Amino acid sequence: MSVVTKKPGDEVANLEFGRRTDEWSQCLRTIAKHRDRSAFARFFKQFAPLIKAFALSGSTLSANHADELVQEVMLKVWQKADGFNPDKASASTWVYTIARNCRTDLYRRLQKFDTPLSADDVSLDQDGEEPAAMLHQRRMRDRIHAMMNTLPADQAHILAKVYMEGKSHSEVASELDLPLGTVKSRVRLAIQKLQIQMED
Amino acid sequence: MAKFHPDLHVLTEFTAGTLPLAQSACVSLHLTYCAKCQEITEAQTAMAANLFEDLEPANVSDSQLDIVMSRLDEDAPLTYPKTPRDDASSTPAVLQRLMHGDFSDLTWKKITSALRISYLSTGDPYYEFALYHIKAGGVIPEHTHRGSEMTLVLEGGFSDSEGTYHAGDFLFRESGDVHSPAALAHEDCICLAVLDAPLKFTRLRHRWMNPFLQLKAS
Repeated sequence: MSVVTKKPGDEVANLEFGRRTDEWSQCLRTIAKHRDRSAFARFFKQFAPLIKAFALSGSTLSANHADELVQEVMLKVWQKADGFNPDKASASTWVYTIARNCRTDLYRRLQKFDTPLSADDVSLDQDGEEPAAMLHQRRMRDRIHAMMNTLPADQAHILAKVYMEGKSHSEVASELDLPLGTVKSRVRLAIQKLQIQMED
Repeated sequence: MAKFHPDLHVLTEFTAGTLPLAQSACVSLHLTYCAKCQEITEAQTAMAANLFEDLEPANVSDSQLDIVMSRLDEDAPLTYPKTPRDDASSTPAVLQRLMHGDFSDLTWKKITSALRISYLSTGDPYYEFALYHIKAGGVIPEHTHRGSEMTLVLEGGFSDSEGTYHAGDFLFRESGDVHSPAALAHEDCICLAVLDAPLKFTRLRHRWMNPFLQLKAS
């Protein structure tokens, strides 16, 4: 087990994170309220490179498909900005959710699935929560961020494969040449830390 | 409140978007019953968003921005708010969509005197997504699974040698489990089963039905 120690830069990093989050939440609000294209261009410059990185980290997409995904996600940002609720999720969580769902739908289109369900239909709704739950979530969000900074490298590496590369546990196991049980236990350890944060 | 839940790995693959379509529809239906699993998936999503923020940014050419800017005036696709499930007796929206209506609008295929099955189409070519209607007190003949079986109780309840399950309860059984679920005595049970291989009756007197239970995935 690794010992969780507070590194000297932690407070600064969290402060930086809070500020950055607020800046992009604010930017989304401006896009929604004023249909402000220059705010949108700023948002694009910040997030499009991350969306493209996310698209490419799922190994099977070509560069063309990655560009297509960036366009699709950013258009959705413009169209759905009105539904963004900063009390419910950070701007990056909101964008990530759109990107993840669009990527899942793109995979299914490429596999020629003929389905009445989009990834949006089966994912959790991001709107409509009572204030107490939202406060709880805001606190939880900060804690999760702090927790991620203290995650041992082997756990973080596997989480990145699962969430960013979109690999199943067994795919990760064979890729890293680890027993499936090891992959599962690393995921479990990381998420148990998360649950401890949630129960506080 | 549901007592049986998807395990952490199922929830992880669900939030990562990598769970097969039919299984993810089943998990999302469980979430409409279960605040606890909702909270876990929300936390997992926030965690994934942290990984997303830390990705090495990829190079996006300026022409991409131009293309998107030129498309901003396109009509947004029509969207409808999801029906909130405040009434515990209402059918979850995803299921209503797949059923094109309600339980009574479905075609139920009679398997035994106690069991009827209705196959729904999710578009997932690898998994069968079916509703089972078990009459009150009725028993599904002892069977095993050649693959995995996800089950979600929608109405009523059933029990097997390992427990008693009510609306919202979620079960995930791997291949090889032999069981013989029975609906609770006083109420019909409707549950959703997601399979990647057909079930197989084990007792001699029911085995003749096995050829009729080919996987109906679509």
